[in-house]
Amino acid sequence: MDLLGLANYAVFMAILIGIYALLALGLNIQWGFTGLFNAGIAGFFAIGAYTSAILTSLPAAHRLGGFELPMVLGWVAAMLVAAAIAWPIGKICLRFRSDYLAIATIGIAEIIRLVIRTEGWLTGGVRGITGIPRPFGELPYMQSQLAFLAIVVVLVLLAYMLVERQVNAPWGRMMRAIRDNENAAAAMGKRVADRRLQAFVFGSALMGLAGALFVHFNRSITPEAIDPMIATFLIWIMLILGGSGNNRGAILGAAAIWIIWSVSELLTDRLPTEVAIQAKYARVFIIGLTLQLVLRFRPEGIVPERQAGAASSRR
Amino acid sequence: MNKKTLATLVGSLLGAAVLASPAHAQNVKIGLLGGISGPIAAMAPSMLDASRLAIAQVNEQGGILNGGKLDVVVGDSACNPQNATDAATKAVNIDRVIATVGPHCSGAVLAAANSVTVPAGVLMVTPSGTSPEITKINDKDLVYRTVPSDDYQGRALARTLKARGIDKVAVAYLNNDYGKGLAESFKAEYEANGGTIAGYSGHEDGKASYRSDLAQLARGGADTLVIFDYGDGTGLTILRQALENNFFKTFIGADGMKSEAVIRSLGEQNLGGFFASAPVGEASASLDAFRAAFSAAGGNPDAIFTTTSYDAAFLVALAIEKAGGDKAKLAESLRAVASAPGEPIMAGEWAKAKQLIAEGKDIDYKGAAGDHEFDAAGDVPGNYAFFKVSGSTYEAIADMK
Repeated sequence: MDLLGLANYAVFMAILIGIYALLALGLNIQWGFTGLFNAGIAGFFAIGAYTSAILTSLPAAHRLGGFELPMVLGWVAAMLVAAAIAWPIGKICLRFRSDYLAIATIGIAEIIRLVIRTEGWLTGGVRGITGIPRPFGELPYMQSQLAFLAIVVVLVLLAYMLVERQVNAPWGRMMRAIRDNENAAAAMGKRVADRRLQAFVFGSALMGLAGALFVHFNRSITPEAIDPMIATFLIWIMLILGGSGNNRGAILGAAAIWIIWSVSELLTDRLPTEVAIQAKYARVFIIGLTLQLVLRFRPEGIVPERQAGAASSRR
Repeated sequence: MNKKTLATLVGSLLGAAVLASPAHAQNVKIGLLGGISGPIAAMAPSMLDASRLAIAQVNEQGGILNGGKLDVVVGDSACNPQNATDAATKAVNIDRVIATVGPHCSGAVLAAANSVTVPAGVLMVTPSGTSPEITKINDKDLVYRTVPSDDYQGRALARTLKARGIDKVAVAYLNNDYGKGLAESFKAEYEANGGTIAGYSGHEDGKASYRSDLAQLARGGADTLVIFDYGDGTGLTILRQALENNFFKTFIGADGMKSEAVIRSLGEQNLGGFFASAPVGEASASLDAFRAAFSAAGGNPDAIFTTTSYDAAFLVALAIEKAGGDKAKLAESLRAVASAPGEPIMAGEWAKAKQLIAEGKDIDYKGAAGDHEFDAAGDVPGNYAFFKVSGSTYEAIADMK
């Protein structure tokens, strides 16, 4: 273990944390500020991933794609398509109350996953899509990782600032009002259904962007990446641990959970091989236990939501 | 914890400094990346055990290079790209492995190779990534596999049927990556060779009746049905219902259908028209040696992908020995030790191989799963035979080209 290796590993971790932070920010708009229980994050992540992959990849005979468009265009399209698909879904499903919405969104994410698996002409089916470019991918390993990290950091900061600005504006207060007491907000003349739809679409667009970054980082995408465990529930844990309703909390939660997940394997690998293999299963348990402990002892998360008064006096 | 474990711990913490210096009795570390948690959690332990058997044999029979040990670090790739890239990054950067065996799943292989091992110049040999997409990775000659791509069997079967004078078939495939991958490559090759596909449809798993699917397929007028499915699952139902209703006369399956459950359930006397293709290990002495050693170590040699996992680890060890531990020469050395010509090396013959390499002689590893002659893309063609039912089991009647 030398410093260069550690640095490489840290850069890699930071990139994945950044991608997960975008997902957590998207979920924070939906759940943290608006109270929409979206259990279908993987679906919007997948839409963003596949949209950008199809638009920017090299041509292939057995599927759509090979447009070889610039990557930035792919990312914008990923957000637009994720938003466009979120819109009708939200239009139909957002009339459901919390638990029912959760069930509906799980179903939708599963439909998206099955469509991706079976519609080979569009997505490459179970084979997935390869030949996706990576920004600065032709540089040597370390430089290429650093360049990608820079892009991710810029995008996360941008998303953070935009979301932060939006939730501190009157729009944000209105959203919290809807979340905390929908009837009162409606009585005040707020168009609750439209506002909820807005939050759902914005959040989904951010998830789409995270998906796009993920495929360009890996230069490939297969349906295995959109497993609900790794692309939905992990993000929920991140947001709850970090503090839902607080954007810094969302980013911090993403970092904390990913570091626990990844670094715990380094520690268990110091054990004899036989035990080390057994210990891999314990990592899943550690994540679950962390969630239980947070819910029991600090349900508001590490960085709780700021009170409305404090938020406005700060700025 | 005894002193030795503590020493290993301290040693691995200071590993880079030790590895960098050309001291004698130098240890070499490789990564074993497997789907320990996740969808293939039931298969992964046997595969890892088989790979670790190869490493144990290396260490027992004189170790690697100048009497050093071959160390492993096991990473959980969990069968998804997120964890696979994480595990690969740790293996490459923290543990400084010079090669990895695995990941196991195709999607994990694609992501880890594209974003970690190939940019970092680390050799990867996967024992079970069967996706044809792996062939296309822009890999600087660093990605190999000891399991044939799904493409090969479908194509080989298509050519065999044409050669046997079957010009018109219907195809029923299970709608998953196995069934669909085979069906697509079969169809492409069969039509390219002038065959006619008179019916072609995918079916979902686990339905009670497939009679309407079969009636639809039979309408095309073919009297041969090709089934890409599993003989102890849906494939058996389809075969039974096709026989009962006399939809087709001849039935062809791939390795998934070559199951003894088919003979047990339907009876030999009813299966005169049933044939199946399946991969065969060419160097059977090597396979026997592996089976004996793995059974003795408490493993089940019939578990899926154990032979390819063993071969992948053994080949990596041979390549390291041949390259003298030089990371830059690993790929070239892997090709040299795996390909003819050379003195044949069977599974487990580490001491013999080590001596031949020391003498500067060329060797050719004949693995438990096959001969492993890598092509330009790092794929193995696989050896297949065409089987018919004979008694309570299957008998090979022809090699497939």
